[in-house]
Amino acid sequence: MSKINPSAKSADNDAGNAVNNDNNNAQDARSGAGAPMTLDAVRAQLQGVKGKKFWRSLDELADSPEFRAEVEREFPSAAQEWLDPVSRRGFLRLMGASMALAGLAGCTKQPDETIYPYVKAPEDLILGKPMYFATAHPFPTGGVPLLMKSDEFRPIKVDGNPEHPYNRGGSDPYSQGTLLDLYDPDRSKKVTYRGEDREWMDFAQALREKVQESKDGTGIYFLSATITSPTLARQWQAVQAAYPKAKLVQYDPAIAGTYAEKGINTRYALSAADVIVSLDADFLSSASYPGFHGLVRDYANRRKDPAAGMNRLYAVESMTTTTGMKAEHRLKLRASEIPAFAAELAKAVGVAGVQPPAYAWTSEQQAFLAALAKDLKANAGKSAVLPGMYQDASVAELAQAINAALGNVGKTVFVSQETVNPLPSDQIADLKALVADLNAGKVDWLVILNANPIYTTPADLNFASAFNKANIVAHLGSHMDETGQIAHWHVPAAHYLESWSDVRAYDGTVSIVQPMIDPLYGGHTAHHVLQMLLNDPLVSPYDAVRATWQQVLAKNNKGDFELGWRKSLHDGWVEGTAFDTAAKANVPAEFHGSVPAPASQETLEIIYRPDPSIYDGRWSNVGWLQELPKPILNLSWDNAAIVSGYTLTKLGLKEDDIVELNVGGKRVQAPVVVAPGHPDNSVTVYLGYGREFAGRVGSGAGFNAYLIRTVNAPFYTAGSLRKLDGKWGVAITKSHYQDHRGARFGQQGSGDNSLEADEALGPRGIIRYATLEEFKVNPNFAHEGEGRETPESDTSLFPNWQYNEAAWGMSIDMNSCVGCNACIVSCYAENNIAVVGKQQVRIGRDMQWIRIDTYFEGDLAAPRAHFQPMNCQQCENAPCEQVCPVGATVHSSEGLNVMVYNRCIGTRYCSNNCPYKVRRFNFLLFSDYETESLKLMRNPDVTVRTRGVMEKCSYCVQRISAAKITADKENRPVRDGEIITACQQACPAEAIVFGDLNDKTSRAAKLRANQRTYQVIADVNTRPRTTYMAEVLNLNPELEATPAEHMPAKG
Amino acid sequence: MATSEVKQVDPGIDPATGEFRVIGQGQTFRSVTEKITRIVLTPHTPLGWFAYFGVGGAGVTVLMVALVWLFLKGVGIWAVTQPVAWGFAIINFVWWIGIGHAGTLISAILLLFKQGWRNSINRFAEAMTIFAVVCAGMFPLIHLGRPWVAYWVFPLPFTMNVWPQFRSPLMWDVFAVSTYATISVVFWYIGMVPDFGTMRDRAESKLAQYAYGMLSLGWRGSVRHWARYETASLLLAGLATPLVLSVHTVISFDFAVAALPGWHTTIFPPYFVAGAIYSGFAMVLTLAIPLRKYYGLEALVTERHIDNMGKVMLATGFIVGYGYGMEVFMAWYSADHWEAFMMWNRMFGPMGWSYWVLVTCNLFIPLTTLWSRKLRTSITYMFILSIIVNTGMWFERFVIVVTSLYRDYLPSSWGTYYATKWDYMTYIGTLGLFTFLFLLFVRFLPMIPMSEIRTMLPAAKIKPKAVTEAGD
Repeated sequence: MSKINPSAKSADNDAGNAVNNDNNNAQDARSGAGAPMTLDAVRAQLQGVKGKKFWRSLDELADSPEFRAEVEREFPSAAQEWLDPVSRRGFLRLMGASMALAGLAGCTKQPDETIYPYVKAPEDLILGKPMYFATAHPFPTGGVPLLMKSDEFRPIKVDGNPEHPYNRGGSDPYSQGTLLDLYDPDRSKKVTYRGEDREWMDFAQALREKVQESKDGTGIYFLSATITSPTLARQWQAVQAAYPKAKLVQYDPAIAGTYAEKGINTRYALSAADVIVSLDADFLSSASYPGFHGLVRDYANRRKDPAAGMNRLYAVESMTTTTGMKAEHRLKLRASEIPAFAAELAKAVGVAGVQPPAYAWTSEQQAFLAALAKDLKANAGKSAVLPGMYQDASVAELAQAINAALGNVGKTVFVSQETVNPLPSDQIADLKALVADLNAGKVDWLVILNANPIYTTPADLNFASAFNKANIVAHLGSHMDETGQIAHWHVPAAHYLESWSDVRAYDGTVSIVQPMIDPLYGGHTAHHVLQMLLNDPLVSPYDAVRATWQQVLAKNNKGDFELGWRKSLHDGWVEGTAFDTAAKANVPAEFHGSVPAPASQETLEIIYRPDPSIYDGRWSNVGWLQELPKPILNLSWDNAAIVSGYTLTKLGLKEDDIVELNVGGKRVQAPVVVAPGHPDNSVTVYLGYGREFAGRVGSGAGFNAYLIRTVNAPFYTAGSLRKLDGKWGVAITKSHYQDHRGARFGQQGSGDNSLEADEALGPRGIIRYATLEEFKVNPNFAHEGEGRETPESDTSLFPNWQYNEAAWGMSIDMNSCVGCNACIVSCYAENNIAVVGKQQVRIGRDMQWIRIDTYFEGDLAAPRAHFQPMNCQQCENAPCEQVCPVGATVHSSEGLNVMVYNRCIGTRYCSNNCPYKVRRFNFLLFSDYETESLKLMRNPDVTVRTRGVMEKCSYCVQRISAAKITADKENRPVRDGEIITACQQACPAEAIVFGDLNDKTSRAAKLRANQRTYQVIADVNTRPRTTYMAEVLNLNPELEATPAEHMPAKG
Repeated sequence: MATSEVKQVDPGIDPATGEFRVIGQGQTFRSVTEKITRIVLTPHTPLGWFAYFGVGGAGVTVLMVALVWLFLKGVGIWAVTQPVAWGFAIINFVWWIGIGHAGTLISAILLLFKQGWRNSINRFAEAMTIFAVVCAGMFPLIHLGRPWVAYWVFPLPFTMNVWPQFRSPLMWDVFAVSTYATISVVFWYIGMVPDFGTMRDRAESKLAQYAYGMLSLGWRGSVRHWARYETASLLLAGLATPLVLSVHTVISFDFAVAALPGWHTTIFPPYFVAGAIYSGFAMVLTLAIPLRKYYGLEALVTERHIDNMGKVMLATGFIVGYGYGMEVFMAWYSADHWEAFMMWNRMFGPMGWSYWVLVTCNLFIPLTTLWSRKLRTSITYMFILSIIVNTGMWFERFVIVVTSLYRDYLPSSWGTYYATKWDYMTYIGTLGLFTFLFLLFVRFLPMIPMSEIRTMLPAAKIKPKAVTEAGD
């Protein structure tokens, strides 16, 4: 009988009642066994398990004495199952699955405090029916109001809050990526003290006792990431009041030294701006620029209907960004030239007192300046000048003065007394003081809150050696990162989706950060830490947040705080907290500061920027963001030394060569990558890579640019570059070959263009655009000329499809798309797309269903880029459908090309025959079927694809079905706008519109009928359902004809 | 007449029959039978055979390793990627199938055209066909993402009631290749029946007698048997003849039906068939030249055969050359940008070298030298040339598959293709498998059809009537 025991553990049992014996064993082994597997039990099982997975399979988890006891207690009649080895296995597996799922359901239980569903308030959970909750992503450049999709209380999708006045539903790659960050299996799971396991209360007591001992807080230092929460600020102020000598240092590597550290009090309302000027302000690329979501939306809204007038964007920038590439006119300048240029501009528009440093501007630069100043003056009061964050402080002040001089303040620029972040500080000075105090031995306890200073501080501060001089260092962090590894105490931090907090958005609106799930690993927050030092240490973050807003909410709701609270949670913001736009700020139109002179042309400038995908390194371990091709570069999994083609040639380099960057004796090795249009003699490096202890995904990717960053010049500095032997092996998803055809055949063309763009803009008609003047003369420009004809609908061997109900279609406005990548990350989350890793990306096997095709028009030294989001076009005459031998991809009755994963045998013929190359194939087993935490994250409505199966964009068919079911139950047709695809939902520019083309009143149908709408490679007669709206550029006639002086970009 | 004078002095003319002599002088029924059966029935396997068999076996081992890893990990171990989703597997598939075609052409079409010289080479050419089809047939199966469900391409009456999609050329492939394999095997076997009879009668070991006895299906060589045999051969030849044209036509549809520039062209069917015969004859030469030397079969497979095969290659080579020329011409003449760019990219793009390898191996070298009778009858030269043409034909498929795919419609998706070691191992493995099977055939089956050779000997000619007439 011992054979029938499911595991060897009880092999010594007697014959007979094996099941009962197991039960006894279980009770012996573990007191309290026999109780159902609870949340705590699962946690206990999982605690201490390190490495790739925290349990190998559900079987393994289930194969415990408790489990067997449980089965026996619950299903005594099934005992005979155990006698048959085959059915026993099946039984075990089934039971294993159900038991483990029960356990997991416990893991995902709702927080104890009441949180309120957003739109509908189901009395209880309806399985399979997701709920939506408003919350916000706390980010140092302003909170991002979110609407979370929660399935069985597991947050499974991050999206912008569509009703929030700031972002109006838009989101960004960072916010989208935080979902995977929540479920990151490498998050730290337990409190440790010098490597040994402890409990949270041990830490709390130790800290509390120490602080009380110090009486006034002497020797107690806090080093925190930028504090975004008003409640946390309030708590800190209470701590400060009780312990006046305790010190708080805020340090965020991408915030320190920028104007954002002062808390952000200036807002730009681009909806009223006809002329927008970016002075190295990368406001269209990513959320690292304050107000990204709102700025993009306002910018894009003014470009949707060119006939009704458009804005015009000028960009002066020190590296190639999507902002510059979207700009009508772009001037590339080296980073150190930008303050001087800003001063010249200020002088030209009449700012008093400005003294631009003498500098030999080229004729092209002078022409640009003159035209820009003239255009600004002509649009006084209807323009906005945005300063770059990673620039000398004078740029922000000059921009402010220019805006004041132009009378923009109060119209397109608003300055408020309050700031977005509650505790403005001089982060760099504070950090330097902290290091000095550390070195002086003044620091007894250093408590690090959500920061990773060992990794992120500039190398010349030598923070690591100062760090060791503190008596005790405690680290609250989500990961056992570089700092956590050497701190004495490490406390796992709760994710923002696991804890209560609050945050202000760019427009000042306060959002309550609602948790979506109990902390997966029992983490705590900075709220807990600071509260622990006060008289009422057990006030929870929930109560603390409520206390912060008690008065405001009570006042706004006629004394009914609870009503206001519920409404705030439901809406996602606290009514009446937005900054006052009516108040007149007194901004003088003068500037008396000093403007640094540009560095010599010959010095090589090194520019530091946060990464567009992983920011300052905090999202290193988020596979979605690592694999995301960076805008412009299309580089994934690495950062690089980014140079211009001219610099590359001048230094005798080739792309992907390894170089050594040297800044003041600090050296780091990096691969070289060319960015078209990058200023010459300067190198841009992205921060956030080269991490040692990021986790299984991020560790070892790229190089650590903090190692060559200096505390006094954190944004750009002079350095040098030396070629080393070997190739790095970067993964670039799309390349840009120099077009040498013209030169070779004695035709026109300098050979400095991109072959891809020459093809795409030329005979292939993939990108079509016109200037505003051309558009006014001929609104039908997108359909005229070679390669732009659309075949008649009877030009096919096959009969046309008939659609009696809906016929889905998508319209993408290329005039609005800013290439920010939010759609890609959103698609990852919605469609359970696999992350394949750097080596697979290198050989072209990335699985993204939507991509941003970027074409660089003109000379690569000064190109214009066109961004084209490309997903499955859902062709009417789909080439893929005809060639599949097993009919695994077929046409649906609503016009979709549906992919039947179960039927696919993997011939890949469909992919070969797809002119858009939007199909993605699981060449290997790319999906992670093992990691438990990732299972919680998956969208239950979408299959996880296995090896050997083709996949592609489905227009989010699961969302279509959900909407159709709802409509069906309510006995009505699906409303326009009811179905929103994941890419559309994420898009901050609202460039993507989805809808029913059969319904002539739908937005999508109207956009499709627009004259600017064209089909990509229409002449192949695929008849795509995704159509594009051609770009219209509002060029300044004075600059249009300016001959460009470019150094040739060889490479 | 001048021609008759020439003929009288031409040593290639058999004075007894007035026909071109394809079999060496002095051969008799006995000598032919003796020669061919001894190769098989000898108890002493030559050491050299073991050496080559070992090489073939090593190749099979490599193939097994490559396949096991493939099935464990998936097609991602190969270089296939986006946008080049077909790679070595499809290239090799088309290449092997093409090679097979010469065997069918020799056995069927030349039989119908009464080309007597074919008799010496048709048996092993057919064997080559079958083994090539074995190698080829493997690839469409193993290149699938999920090979374990490959049977879904067959129209089987499942309970799921899902049928394959008949619009897909891959579906047609399934029928074309399976028909081809069936007919080839049957034709090959039927052709061997009289020889099995001979083998049975001459075998000394019990096992051989028993085995060949079973295989000979009771062949007794009666007139009735011969009549049936001839009829069956003609019928099968009639069946196989359209297959020579249709199979590679259908395979060319895999490309021609697709909407890809470089694939989507109507010239593919004839040009694929010609290319198949071109490469097939090259492979026959690659096999025949060492075989005749090693087994001393110069008298049966003579210079005349080599010469004739050279001529066939010259003709088919020109058809292939016409195909290449037409592709270039149409790229210009159609004024279609997709075609023009494809052609430019094929010639001068990053992988342009492969196109020039193909042109050199398939056109420049063979079509300039095959005119020379001296070179055509130079055994060494023809062997080297056959290898060159086989290489060239492999590159033709490489060019078609890879250089059309790697830069197609949307420039954003352009990519490249670098074969991995698993690609090479699989390819080399099939070469090994082919060698392995072919050596088994050489050892155990009569590689030259005795019955058919006998009909060509002078003794078989009942009445040497045409001595003085100039023939027709």
